[in-house]
Amino acid sequence: MSYVDEKVAPRREERLGTCVDFGGCACDLKKNFNGGCLKNNDRGFCQGSICQLLPGLSMLNTIPDSVVIVHGSLGCGGSGHSQSAAVRGRQILGGSTNPRGTLWLSTNLNERDVVSGGEAKLEEAIIEADRRYRPASIIVVSSCVPGIIGDDLDGVIAKIQPQVNGVILPVHCEGFKTKVMATAYDAVYHAISRNLLEEEEDEVKVIQDEFEEEAEKIRRSRQVNLMNVSSGTPGDEKELTRLLNALGLEVKIFPCFTHPDDMKYATQAALSISTCPTHDDYFLKHLNEKFGVPYLLRYMPIGIQNTNSWLREVAKFFHLEDVAERIIERETTELELSLMTIRENLKGKKAMLSAGEVRTLATAGWLQELGLEIVAVRPYHYDEFGEPALDQLIDKDSNIQVNVGTVQPYESVNIIERTRPDIYLGHNSDNVWAAKSGVPVLPIYGGPNTYVGYTGAFDFARSINRVLKNPSFNQNLRKNVRQPYFKNWYTDQPYKYIAQGGND
Amino acid sequence: MNNKFVERPRSFCALGGAMLTAGAIPGVVPILHTAMGCGGSIYWNQVGSTGYLGAGYCGGLAVPSSNVGEKDIIFGGTDRLTEQIENTAKLVEGDLYIVLTGCMTDIIGDDIHSVIREFQAKDVNIIGAETGGFKGDGYKGYDLVLQAIITNFIEKKSEKINSKVNLWGIVPGQDAFWRGNLNNLRSLLLKLGLEVNSFFSDSDTLERVKNAGDAALNIIVSEFYGIDAAKSFEDVHGVPYITFPLPIGPSATEEFLGRVSEALDINKDVTDKVIESENTLYYKYVDRIADTYNDQDFQRYAVVVGDGNYSLAIARFLADDLGWMPELTVITDVFEEEQQDKINKYLDHFNSGYKTKVVYETDASEIQYHLSRHWPQSSGQKFYDAFSPAFVIGSHLERQLAINIGAAHLTVSYPVGNRVVLTRGYAGYSGGLNLIEDIFSVLVAQR
Repeated sequence: MSYVDEKVAPRREERLGTCVDFGGCACDLKKNFNGGCLKNNDRGFCQGSICQLLPGLSMLNTIPDSVVIVHGSLGCGGSGHSQSAAVRGRQILGGSTNPRGTLWLSTNLNERDVVSGGEAKLEEAIIEADRRYRPASIIVVSSCVPGIIGDDLDGVIAKIQPQVNGVILPVHCEGFKTKVMATAYDAVYHAISRNLLEEEEDEVKVIQDEFEEEAEKIRRSRQVNLMNVSSGTPGDEKELTRLLNALGLEVKIFPCFTHPDDMKYATQAALSISTCPTHDDYFLKHLNEKFGVPYLLRYMPIGIQNTNSWLREVAKFFHLEDVAERIIERETTELELSLMTIRENLKGKKAMLSAGEVRTLATAGWLQELGLEIVAVRPYHYDEFGEPALDQLIDKDSNIQVNVGTVQPYESVNIIERTRPDIYLGHNSDNVWAAKSGVPVLPIYGGPNTYVGYTGAFDFARSINRVLKNPSFNQNLRKNVRQPYFKNWYTDQPYKYIAQGGND
Repeated sequence: MNNKFVERPRSFCALGGAMLTAGAIPGVVPILHTAMGCGGSIYWNQVGSTGYLGAGYCGGLAVPSSNVGEKDIIFGGTDRLTEQIENTAKLVEGDLYIVLTGCMTDIIGDDIHSVIREFQAKDVNIIGAETGGFKGDGYKGYDLVLQAIITNFIEKKSEKINSKVNLWGIVPGQDAFWRGNLNNLRSLLLKLGLEVNSFFSDSDTLERVKNAGDAALNIIVSEFYGIDAAKSFEDVHGVPYITFPLPIGPSATEEFLGRVSEALDINKDVTDKVIESENTLYYKYVDRIADTYNDQDFQRYAVVVGDGNYSLAIARFLADDLGWMPELTVITDVFEEEQQDKINKYLDHFNSGYKTKVVYETDASEIQYHLSRHWPQSSGQKFYDAFSPAFVIGSHLERQLAINIGAAHLTVSYPVGNRVVLTRGYAGYSGGLNLIEDIFSVLVAQR
């Protein structure tokens, strides 16, 4: 029986032994992770963090023609307010002259509901969402409260589905259930897999045309699923589509910003290609097991080396190695020329990075290639999908420092004071603490930039070069704004509060 | 109590309101006793809804948080909380720590107060409040934190000082302009010769908050927010309170100052002099926009959308000071009958005599229906008296409505995601001028 047959996706702690609490050198991380000794680690001092609900909503809020119902307290969907900016941007790109941004309902569970249950309220919300917005899908996301008061999400949905037009997707994202926010990706893919992949019967053509059928067969043999992430930018998708098109492949992008009715086309592709392995394994394995779609899940195409490897893997699958080599040759020659002066400027500069697992490690790899020294990487979690990118870092610097933690800026600022990096590349909500330490910052994703492929490699280089041109803003912050920690924290070990949990 | 779903809520949960409130008091460090994502959820909300109010001293994802998980939920989270407080006190510099509970720890009934007492016995300056998100909205969280401070932190004083007042009713973050609003009202009250503690303004200190118990009066510039705190203050410290809707512009502010003077028995001459000089200054500026107002026909029909504070304040400013027609006022809170009566009473006595139609609606997508019901759409007649020229003052969610009805738009109420707010405030006389600047700047922006 596969995971997808269960109502709820498993926690990553169990499925992958994922770790979120570690500090030390990369070799120790690898050794201990493989020995299974990290998943029970803990912190004796924690800061507010990111639970699985948040990246879950970040993905789900992008699904067009849909309403997200956050079943929980009033605040649980509030991240939709900030995410609206990116969603509006896509809606404008899609041609909207009056974009709505994110749309979600909160079931607003109150004291009475905590006692008597929130199922009736959820039913009402689903019915009203269907009536009011006529969406293609109604995405019901459960947060902590329904998980603890025992609301039967799947039961309510099974009962209500016959009364509404939109397809209802239950997504189990109770924040307290896992320490690994990346469990969210599995939770979302679980819901998509269970509800949106049913193949419709092949349409019958009015005119039977053998030539047309043959053409369709060829087309499908070259159709690939390109998996995106909610933190990806339009520029990212454009760049990877460009590269795959150059190989002669036809690209369909999943799952963010993909219409619910179109999700089923993911089952028809010749190959699925991940851009962030830790994001996609659950879904790509399911597509493979159930629909026979093979997949590639090793590289995040950030930086020249990773992009080359990513492209070569795809090309190898289609026996297009020669084409790939030509593309690589052409792209890298031109890129290297453009990078020449920037490389000079960046050589020997010290960088620190902090964000999602593979993105952080892969970006660090690119910075190493650019000639920067990596003083520390801070992936938000670590599991087997980080290993290839981590190995690349170890190749260049066997002693590289890794601090695994979901945000936890107190450790970040401690490391910053010890190593005084020249630049910090971080996740949103993480960057400001490096900024207050006086370090120039480049966000590691988002905004108008491109981060992947050759265009992304160049964008990173030129953006870091730009940021270093005038670091006054953050330097002034350091002089004038206080961090909240006692001075003696900076003389303590940064990993002081990480407790070894050992094996089960 | 609202028992319906809410579209794109225009408020934090109680915990979110509590965290922003606690973090807005100088020297206070909140300690969340919640699941791991509450801090992140609040912060990711905050950066899209509060005029880009950043994390500040120890907010955002630096906020200490017990991050209770499944094990703690099953076996109880107080051990984790104890460890968290112990290490927070070693690591994070705060003059006062406030433990704030979330849904999970409230539901399992963790006894935070006995944990807190242990630390108080060890001379840690710490209090707590039960602020689980399901207890209500951000305004409720504001009220709960103030109550905890009033009951457990502010020192009791038997002697009251006649010229000393406390001011609240403006909710940090829920009101993106909270700092400017508090600063504006503070400086007016100072001109009346008063000493003012307002908890959150640039001039406040934790020491002053601690010594707020000898005030003669608590002034709540809201009919709805912080009222339970005012009642607590009266019970615990014997200080009476008055409420007055957030005053924006000369008409409302004059009345507000009159009420304060009356309650404190301030010499009428003093108050009148302040009002006169403020009014003169206000019109010295308005004088210079009068040309454009009249040459360009800058009078507008308006739809006002906001919480209990802003909806009333802006509708009144538009009607009484700007000579506009706020045809529809949409109040986005869910209010009981008693609160609705207060609203009706206030809206009935505009100096201009202008009557606005009030509706209660939480959901942005429903507002256009309310407008259609109030102002019938064209039925194809050649000469149709349209709802035009029009202006929508609300949140950034009302941009869609404004585009749909061909109106101009300004974001003032939560969520404020398309403006950056630092010092700006709309309260008082100078705030009225700010609002004029912002409204008319929208009208000339395309030139």
